[in-house]
Amino acid sequence: MRGIPTTLALCLAFGLAILPAAAKAADPVAVMADACSGCHGTDGHSIGGMPAFSGKNADELKKFLRDYKSGAREATVMDRIAKGYSVEQLDAIAAYFASRKK
Amino acid sequence: MFNISRRTFNGLMGAAGALTMAGGLSACSGGAKVVVIGGGFGGATAAKYLKRYDPSLDVTLIDADKTHFTCPFSNTILGGMNDMAYIERKFDVLVNKHGVKVYTDLVVAIDGAAKVVKTKSGQTFAYDRLIVSPGIDFKWNAIPGYDEAASHIMPHAWKAGPQTVLLKKQLEAMPAGGLVVISAPGNPFRCPPGPYERASLIAAYLKKHKPKSKLLILDSKDAFAKDKLFKEGWEKLYDDIIEWVPAAKNGKVTKVDAKAGVVETDFEKFKPAVANIIPPQTAGKIAIDAGLADKSGFCPVNPLTFESTLVKDVHVIGDSSIAGEMPKSGYSASSQAKITAAAVVALLKGEKPGEFSAINTCYSLLAADYGISVAGVFSIQDGKIANIKGAGGVSPMGANYQFRKKEADFAVGWYQSVCQDSWA
Repeated sequence: MRGIPTTLALCLAFGLAILPAAAKAADPVAVMADACSGCHGTDGHSIGGMPAFSGKNADELKKFLRDYKSGAREATVMDRIAKGYSVEQLDAIAAYFASRKK
Repeated sequence: MFNISRRTFNGLMGAAGALTMAGGLSACSGGAKVVVIGGGFGGATAAKYLKRYDPSLDVTLIDADKTHFTCPFSNTILGGMNDMAYIERKFDVLVNKHGVKVYTDLVVAIDGAAKVVKTKSGQTFAYDRLIVSPGIDFKWNAIPGYDEAASHIMPHAWKAGPQTVLLKKQLEAMPAGGLVVISAPGNPFRCPPGPYERASLIAAYLKKHKPKSKLLILDSKDAFAKDKLFKEGWEKLYDDIIEWVPAAKNGKVTKVDAKAGVVETDFEKFKPAVANIIPPQTAGKIAIDAGLADKSGFCPVNPLTFESTLVKDVHVIGDSSIAGEMPKSGYSASSQAKITAAAVVALLKGEKPGEFSAINTCYSLLAADYGISVAGVFSIQDGKIANIKGAGGVSPMGANYQFRKKEADFAVGWYQSVCQDSWA
């Protein structure tokens, strides 16, 4: 109940267009990809010993992820994780991180 | 600051009140209030990602303490590898960079009908949606004799902070050749591999500083997370130190007399130099008091949104929630927090919540240069959160030194990243 007046109040008060505010949340790729950030840092900006995604392009990341899934690339844990996704999902995750701010 | 904006807010709400009848204008969620209880991995990540997914939200995080000591890596303090500052997380980046309002206060009541939470200091916070992430509490006296007072003599150290410091001091004070006992609980409990990582790192400390000491794990179970890997590592590293006693061999601790320093199983009495009793657990106290838990002591939720099935507009994440096959770990809590943040943003806009996709990764250290891991990728299967088959699992058996060392280094990287992703 409270959400509706609150919503309207701010929309009206600040003259905001009544449009979806942040499309990201509805984007299932964002939710899927953000699960990776626990190990690789928010938006892939790893600060520690985990590989960062920043500076890598989508094709590079796609190849890494596909090779982890197929077993072509040796891993300690990424082989186990990549197998949880389809190739399409891995490609979408790669594209998402490549598109995030450097 | 807060009071002024709040008054302004109420004024606006009043002015707009009449217009709400028009309805249908739900696309803008600007200013909707989301309150988060708990500043651990679940709560901090939820607060940060709520603002990331919808910067216009009014997000308030309430934690009883000024800073949070993480359970992950608290065992490295017992092992003498790190100090308490290493596991202390502050909330200032959430405030300054992400625009979260943070209050140090204890939430004592949730009024699900009025949609208000009340704190010990007398403050009230209204919410449109509430995210409850209070971690765990203990079933005092589930082990007869082990109550809160006993935990000041025989620490559980299963919430990091003063308990960790107490256990560390006891280890430092014990004589060489002494006995350490760890009592491990039955399932479910926070951090399933935790007691065994703890045994490993305490053994590392004993090996170096308290020669000829022994460590006995008295277990209420016959199997545990990554058990084959732990046993393989113990044989290599701590064969003459660690002994694991399963429930089937009367490992279950049935009674404790903290003042007398006695730990009992059905068949034996021990008088260890140091006793670490990890008791059975429930959801955090506030979740239980608010009627969010079922008979199991944990909180049933809709797996897609983590909304409580018992109280509307309240979401429960992390160790307090019943999350199917996701273990009660910091990484799980953080992954659940993002799903929940996205779901809350969608629900506040009157949209359908997105798809579920979650990961858990969890490293355990057996020594500074010996790490093992478990990973899982999760989806909703038959209405429950379950492991995606063919994915996940534990590190390989029989791996060489380089592999274990690499995983130990990744454990440190993991910790740095998951903390950055949650609090910074």
